[in-house]
Amino acid sequence: MSITRLTRRQFLKAAGATTAFAATGLSFARSAYAAASDYLQKRIAAIYKQDAAMPLRKSQDNPMVKALYKEFLERPNSHFAHHLLHTHYEDRSDGVKKLKAKGVKLKV
Amino acid sequence: MREIEQVWTLSNAPEPADAARTYFVQVDQSKCESCGECENWCGTGAIQPADGKNGPRTVVDPAACLNCGQCLYHCPFGAIYEGVSFVDQIEAALADPDTVVVAMPAPAIRYGLGEPFGLEPGAYVGGKMFATLRKLGFNYVWDNEMTADVTILEEGAELVKRIKKEIDKPLPQFTSCCPAWIKFVETFYPDLRDNLSTCKSPIGMLGPLAKTYGAEKTHVEPAKIFTVSIMPCVAKKFEGLRPELSDSGFRDIDATITTRDLAYMIKKAGIDFNSLPDEKADPVLGDSTGAATIFCATGGVMEAALRFAYETVSGKTLKDVNLTAVRGDKNIRAADVPIPGGPTVKVAIVYGMDQAKVVCDEVRAGKSPYHFIEVMNCPSGCVNGGGQPLPPGTRMADKSPLEKLRFALRRAFNSRATV
Repeated sequence: MSITRLTRRQFLKAAGATTAFAATGLSFARSAYAAASDYLQKRIAAIYKQDAAMPLRKSQDNPMVKALYKEFLERPNSHFAHHLLHTHYEDRSDGVKKLKAKGVKLKV
Repeated sequence: MREIEQVWTLSNAPEPADAARTYFVQVDQSKCESCGECENWCGTGAIQPADGKNGPRTVVDPAACLNCGQCLYHCPFGAIYEGVSFVDQIEAALADPDTVVVAMPAPAIRYGLGEPFGLEPGAYVGGKMFATLRKLGFNYVWDNEMTADVTILEEGAELVKRIKKEIDKPLPQFTSCCPAWIKFVETFYPDLRDNLSTCKSPIGMLGPLAKTYGAEKTHVEPAKIFTVSIMPCVAKKFEGLRPELSDSGFRDIDATITTRDLAYMIKKAGIDFNSLPDEKADPVLGDSTGAATIFCATGGVMEAALRFAYETVSGKTLKDVNLTAVRGDKNIRAADVPIPGGPTVKVAIVYGMDQAKVVCDEVRAGKSPYHFIEVMNCPSGCVNGGGQPLPPGTRMADKSPLEKLRFALRRAFNSRATV
């Protein structure tokens, strides 16, 4: 059977079969593949180049951070630091439980 | 709806109480070509065929979406739009002489903002970024990198307490900077919330510090301050709206925009970005370090934390700060870091929620050998966040002939008729 005589459904089936491997293979590899892309390599390289060029490279050496603790927060994890800079997390599982109960399929 | 750096965006600024029910990203089904590319980037499966077969895709429910925006960042057809924008609110605040508007740019902005102005990917534009924010009329430019350093001190101290069992919190400790990751734990692994560091993210810290310490130091009434979080990230728009982030006595973060939104505002204001001089952030909350700027790369938070932990625990100076063992672009990595006079710290670095799931299952089973795990949602970290300028060649028109062919095949397969 020549390709011109395939019905639409047959064509889609054939195209589906030949691309299935590529499509699913790529589905798994997308994020790993992203890291290799040129624009991202350049953005990442710029970050470490800037890090190396900074006069100070450790958080504990930041002069304004030192002043902030001395004048305001006292020390890391102080009572006041806890009030301003720490938080708590909610249980948000209800929404997805309801979705799954309705038959919605998720990856997690 | 308006187009912001190739992404259609609603002019919708929800109230904090409505954030959890808001679609931060959604598919315009009339534009969707059903190629299925978005599904490959979605960590939860929230984006899927609306008809349950192979038709146009949709975000099924805000409850399942992490708001990361990786789907719209990679959509070849520009069919996915942002559902939230604070651009109008910020422009109004900037125009009001009684409002003191504070810009708080994330580390990743300075590695992406050049691209909409024709610069090469990776062009470092930190100095021009500070200058352009002043040109736009921001009264203070306080650097989010400053509170990345604060995060390291707070999160490092917390980790030491967990290891020494001075607080009743489990190991491993998870990083808490990434808002998509936080929502992932809250939604899919709520039993592991105690593993998350209690530290707010760096922007979660800078908001309240701007309205307390910053206000005090600059003699500005905190009620007059309008804080603007500038992020490479769509999920930060959700984080900024979290009702609990009001520890300053006000809303800690009044508005959140992305790198793309900022580029749009700069162009709209007619600023010639490329000819701007290099400037610095403002005093009080403006200093930065190398440890802070690497926060936007995968492994960066971990490396910054180890630069701190090594010196704090050992009392010795860390001579070579380049801890290359935690760098790299693999989506899951591990390292043992010996600290003189202390334990060998076992760390892991993860990006992408498919790998985060593996790590969470291991922790849930009580089999995780690690002390500290860094997790980011976006591939290679925030610098590749869903709020950054789109990767070159994202849209069909910009793709190479080979890529065009590949997408045509994928489209045929992923939109195939279902029997």
